[in-house]
Amino acid sequence: MKKTHIVLLVLVAAAVCIIVSMFGDFSTYETFASASKDPGKQYHVIGVLAQGKTMEYDPVKDPNHFIFYVQDKAGTVNKVVFNGAKPTDIEKSEQVVMTGRMEGNEFRCSKIQMKCPSKYKNDQVAIGNAS
Amino acid sequence: MDTQFIGENLRPGQLGHFFAITSFVAALFSLVSYTRSAYTEKTDLNNSRSWLLMGRNGFAIHSAAVLGIFFSLYYIIANHLFEYNYAWQHSSKTLPMQYLLSCFWEGQEGSFMLWSFWHCMLGLVVMRTSGILESRVMAVIAVVQLALSTMLLGFYFGPEMKVGSTPFMLLRHQMAGAPIFAQGNYLDFVQDGNGLNPLLQNYWMVIHPPILFLGFASTLIPFAYTIAALWKGEYQDWVKPAINWSLFAGAVLGTGIMMGGAWAYESLTFGGYWAWDPVENASLVPWLTLIAGLHTLVVYKSTGRSFIITTILLALTYLLVWYSTFLTRTGVLGDTSVHAFTGEGKSLYWHLLVVLGVLLLGSIIMIVRKWRSLPRVKTEENVDSREFWMFIGSFILLLSAVQIIISTSIPVWSPLAKWITGKDIAPPVDPVLHYNNIQVWVAIILALLSAGVLYLRFKTSDTKTVWKRLLITGAIALAVTVAVAYVQQIDVPQYALFLFASVFSVVASIYYIISVQKANLKKGGPALSHLGFGLSLLGILLSSFNKEVISFNTLGVVMNFGKKTDAENAKESRENILLFRNTPVAMGDYMVTYKGDSTSTEDPRTFYKVFYERYDEKNKEVKETFTLYPDAFVNPKGQTGLIANPASKHYLHKDIFTYVTSVMDPTKKTDTTSYKEHKVKNGDTVYLSSSYIVFHGFNTEVQNPNYKPANGDIAVTARLGVYDLQGKTKELNPVYYIRDGFENFIEDSLQTNQVYTRLAKIIPDENAAVIMVKQADPKDDYIVLKALVFPFINVLWLGIIVMVAGFFVSMWNRLTKKEKRAHILDL
Repeated sequence: MKKTHIVLLVLVAAAVCIIVSMFGDFSTYETFASASKDPGKQYHVIGVLAQGKTMEYDPVKDPNHFIFYVQDKAGTVNKVVFNGAKPTDIEKSEQVVMTGRMEGNEFRCSKIQMKCPSKYKNDQVAIGNAS
Repeated sequence: MDTQFIGENLRPGQLGHFFAITSFVAALFSLVSYTRSAYTEKTDLNNSRSWLLMGRNGFAIHSAAVLGIFFSLYYIIANHLFEYNYAWQHSSKTLPMQYLLSCFWEGQEGSFMLWSFWHCMLGLVVMRTSGILESRVMAVIAVVQLALSTMLLGFYFGPEMKVGSTPFMLLRHQMAGAPIFAQGNYLDFVQDGNGLNPLLQNYWMVIHPPILFLGFASTLIPFAYTIAALWKGEYQDWVKPAINWSLFAGAVLGTGIMMGGAWAYESLTFGGYWAWDPVENASLVPWLTLIAGLHTLVVYKSTGRSFIITTILLALTYLLVWYSTFLTRTGVLGDTSVHAFTGEGKSLYWHLLVVLGVLLLGSIIMIVRKWRSLPRVKTEENVDSREFWMFIGSFILLLSAVQIIISTSIPVWSPLAKWITGKDIAPPVDPVLHYNNIQVWVAIILALLSAGVLYLRFKTSDTKTVWKRLLITGAIALAVTVAVAYVQQIDVPQYALFLFASVFSVVASIYYIISVQKANLKKGGPALSHLGFGLSLLGILLSSFNKEVISFNTLGVVMNFGKKTDAENAKESRENILLFRNTPVAMGDYMVTYKGDSTSTEDPRTFYKVFYERYDEKNKEVKETFTLYPDAFVNPKGQTGLIANPASKHYLHKDIFTYVTSVMDPTKKTDTTSYKEHKVKNGDTVYLSSSYIVFHGFNTEVQNPNYKPANGDIAVTARLGVYDLQGKTKELNPVYYIRDGFENFIEDSLQTNQVYTRLAKIIPDENAAVIMVKQADPKDDYIVLKALVFPFINVLWLGIIVMVAGFFVSMWNRLTKKEKRAHILDL
């Protein structure tokens, strides 16, 4: 066996290990209910803005505190706390994808991804990021 | 009766569509002719020659037609012909001239056209330079051009099936059924277009897409040469042009990617140049495999080894370019859960899959057909040879690309994963961390290899010299690393190692250029590229490891984010700071004051004036002042809220990067404070929220420029000194006058302090005045700002420039070098 082949085998083996271990990094899409089963862990939750609920954002009081309500795919409406400025145009979003974890009854969200019915593009995605 | 439409200019659209069809037919003709030429090459040289000429003409006509499409569409956009959907959707009358071209690449059809245009230009060069490989190389290019021209056809087969989409679609066809089009004079109501996405209204967006697309397009040429070589079964003549074109593609694509990073840094607000965003990854991955292929190609040229992996890498590079297009254009990434394509998205989805499938299948067939006869070297390479380590480096580049593409493609393969495991896989919670944790090791290995490989020679090296040089440069690098790590406080093991690897790469490349190559610039291309690579890695490390947010908020409630320490909790979220107008706030080393906003009629943006002052810590003297103007599109068309553009203060060793995250809604900025009356005598003082006014008596000589004297007027002004905390700022002179028996007032105000005054009445008996005063509440006007410090970001930009320069130097060297060709055949 050539040395090159041995090195290749080692590299491929290492790569396979890395790629397999990488799957642990991947998150999953959950609902509020399933996310609350493991409150410490961060998940993605997909939903739409809950009808008839008001958003709270008062930058004079705290520019990093935005509260809104989301109805997830299972139909549950939950309070969401985002540690950042209120993303532009969130009222118009057709759908929001939030990254965060459940803490008590609140969903603490560190990232919001919105799908907007934009006039510019069909799939324009705006990203609000807390960090 | 059909509606007669008034005012439409249908000629350019019809012409454009004609060009689109011509380009398709000519590409097909060129493909058939070149293929015939290739097949008759051995049997009938004359016949082959005439097919070749026809192929050339076909390609020339095709290129002319593509140019025709381009000019037709440009005419439509530049003349604001809003009867065409493309002009209506992507442009507007107010759009400045320089952004007219940007409209092209906002839409999908325009992007394909740009891509096609570059293929034509490169194809014309290849046609003249490819010699005996011409028929085959050009046939491959023609196949791709055929595929690209179908993208612009816009042929319908029934209501659901559609092949390509034409940029010359009329608005009334695009939105068929909308009631407005029942009227013949509908154009009277379509006065303006939708406008260009504000994010694209940026100078980087004028130059970044053409360069990036030229980069993508130029990966076609090494691919075409590879396929041509396999097709012909002749593995000598393609090497030289393939290397040169790979160098060109590497340089241009690298530049394009860097410009994308610069655009993100200058005009996007995620706070950086690279976010491992799927769209960025999709352009990086082909570059990685291209660089890998370039290195194995050099190995093949020098030693005859690594032929098979070279063909695979170069083919893969071009397939990845199409795959990138698939990822970014079909919306498959846009939403990772509901694959809700529009009708167009669905047809484009399958269209791109078919093209990708054809190219993949073609490449596989070409390789498999010649598998037995492909050049191989039986013997084993030495461990101290350059080719051995270059091969490993290339393979690691490939593995790196594989990792990035697997993670980026999560939305593509997650339905399969769901079917197998039942889990709905989502992208990593923190994508940056995910990619960094893996790719830092790739970077370490590549940096070490890129330096070490320079000292090795092909086939076998003088081990003693190599070790000597490695030790010398290693020792220097270690000393530099320790110093930098100490100053920059880089104490995380893998990043300290990364620091060493990149410093080593820089030091070793410089050492090689100076003491081994004797600073011979022409030969220094590879070493220069490796130096640039090392510098880039160093710049990435320094700028991101100590990237610091300085806009910490000190107001508001403290919340718990489950972090270990209070400091981390604070950092988690307090990264936006609230600035009231004219109220200084401490931020890092600076006192920062928001001084107000400004707009102009020429520019749709609002600029926010933010004033920075840095004090000496000991004697409190001002050491430095500057003003930044971060701007934003406030309430851009069709949206509420703002799209912000950052502003940065550039130093040689760091950047201060700021952008506005939120502003007071200007529509809600109402006049809440009202005038208050004060009766004052000479010397009296009126106190306001942040300043006070002293009445200094009357003046009958009216100086106020707003007052136009007339006969019979009785006019008087009050002398009002306005003082703020620093002292007197200005004297205000509101005017009171009686004209034709009526009282009139001219107010005077001090905008910077938001003080408004009016002289309401004069009481001559008491020598007193009634003045009306108000000061707007500074809390009515505020911005929310985020500010970051990027240290040493210039090292990154410098590194990339050096790397790209290295590519061009190598190319120049190879193009001007007289080389003996193994076979000289003339057609």
